[in-house]
Amino acid sequence: MLGISIFNGLVYGSLLIICASGLAMIYGLRRVVNFAHGALYMLGAYIGYTLSLYLNIWFALLLAPLAMGMIGVLLDKAVFRPLQERDPLSVLLVTFGLLLVIEDLVRAFWGRGSLSIEVPALLADSIELFGNPTPLYRLAVIGLGVGSMVLIWAWLRFSRTGLYVRAASTDPLTTAMMGVNTERVNALVVGVGTALAGLAGVAAAPMLSLAPSMGADVLVDSFVVVVIGGLGSLGGALISAILLGQVQSFGTIYLPGLSAVLPFLMMIAILIWRPSGLAGNRV
Amino acid sequence: MLHFKYLLWLAVGVLLPQLVGSATLMSLLTQSLIYALFALGVGILLRQCGLVSFGHAAFFGISGYSVALLMRDLELGAASAIVLTLVALAIVAFLLGLVVSRIPGIAFGMLTLAIGQTVYLSALKSRETLGGADGLNINWPSSIFGLDVRLFYDPASMFVISWVVMLVTIYLLDRLFRSRFGSITSAIRDNEERARFIGLHVMLPKAVVYALSAVVSGLAGVLSAIYTGFISPETLHWSVSGTALIMTILGGVRYLWGPILGAIFYFFVKEYVGELTDYWMAMLGAVVIFIVVFAPNGVSGLLMQLQERRQKRKQDVIVRRMEVRS
Repeated sequence: MLGISIFNGLVYGSLLIICASGLAMIYGLRRVVNFAHGALYMLGAYIGYTLSLYLNIWFALLLAPLAMGMIGVLLDKAVFRPLQERDPLSVLLVTFGLLLVIEDLVRAFWGRGSLSIEVPALLADSIELFGNPTPLYRLAVIGLGVGSMVLIWAWLRFSRTGLYVRAASTDPLTTAMMGVNTERVNALVVGVGTALAGLAGVAAAPMLSLAPSMGADVLVDSFVVVVIGGLGSLGGALISAILLGQVQSFGTIYLPGLSAVLPFLMMIAILIWRPSGLAGNRV
Repeated sequence: MLHFKYLLWLAVGVLLPQLVGSATLMSLLTQSLIYALFALGVGILLRQCGLVSFGHAAFFGISGYSVALLMRDLELGAASAIVLTLVALAIVAFLLGLVVSRIPGIAFGMLTLAIGQTVYLSALKSRETLGGADGLNINWPSSIFGLDVRLFYDPASMFVISWVVMLVTIYLLDRLFRSRFGSITSAIRDNEERARFIGLHVMLPKAVVYALSAVVSGLAGVLSAIYTGFISPETLHWSVSGTALIMTILGGVRYLWGPILGAIFYFFVKEYVGELTDYWMAMLGAVVIFIVVFAPNGVSGLLMQLQERRQKRKQDVIVRRMEVRS
């Protein structure tokens, strides 16, 4: 029982961290609270659905995030960059408008009904883990979460572009004065962040059914993760995503009446205790 | 002069239902007026404090639930239940405001979102007391505040009632925000640190505005609960808060009547564009983006700009004539 709870918490936590890290990165560089992030997650899942019909799910997992990355770069060039001098509130409201537009576009292309993606045959089996049958696909999702976090960490820590990203998130002006093209760094990061939202969408698709409104829950949970972790902090987001996954998973078993409310109570408590989140202002 | 303007608007509100022939249009207008009051609640928080709330549906819905429970379980009369609800809402929101308004800008929005969803999910889960997902039917007595309850169900008379409530609310808020209190809150909004340096207490005024905005939204919730005779968790969902925010942005917050205009605009887009295409939400999203980017003061700001320009042109003509004469 305990094993299953921890395991399920980790699966959900992995999805959340993939999605929320994109949100945190976009906030870290652009100072934009992206309300359309849930809609981008949903769009990623639908693009993945179409790709899995024509090719297969492996291509979907690879190509859908790539397509979303391009959409992200476009988003940065068309929306975030022209509006960077505006106050953060108006940009937030613009992304709120984008959310409505994207949801309706998806409805127009894919219809209102719910769709589903088959679990790939290679991962359709279950294996015995801690004495419980465990679907391989869920295990793979955890792997994906860990893998993408390690990749992002390595990218930020060891590559030259990663260095630019870290520099630009600390002080964009000084970074630009050192000769770094911060606009390109920003576009890249928004692209990567959007790709991560798409990746989470495709990865979640075989476990849930696809519906145009599926982005809302993930958006709200990702916000909780990002706010608890400290806006713009990846490390904080990682810790709070794992925490939130466990809280939800254990909450449904031990406090069924409260489980849905627990993440929000946690967020309220942490915001009042530390208004800038667990990680403070560090990136 | 100021009072004359209000009397004029009062006459407009009383006459309008007589002029509107279609029943659909009338119920559309009444519904948008109730939501207009809700949007006004969201708007004054944005206008006086620069804070965006994503959780005001909580106040909108809670007031309906509270009135229903007070009448059902404590067997209070309708009027006392409504007054008690609004007073309690003011106190709770004031205390909450003392805590949440310390959180700056964007995190405030997230916090209100979290509080709103907590309330929504709690109401959804509470099957015995609050009726879970089905909500509650409210048994209104035959008269409320001395008015026959049928007046509240009929769109045309309900329109006049809501119109009067709205005018009184705007009048009182206008008086308040033109006073010293209004200047203090604007000062805090523009630069909290400087306001503190010149010796202002910054938390208290913010909490008061928060409480006011909650009460105005709660008032709209009560009107909605009377009009529909029904309250469900759907009214607490964050998308409802989002809708109120969209109305506020569409209308603009520089003028108090901006959110009202925004709500009417919203319902008309929903009704008439919704008839033309299923994808009216996308249209609405595009309009929101357009307004935020090109007209930050919303439709009301655009209208006032037009009027100012026309007045200026008129003045120019007069000046030119005088120049010719001399």
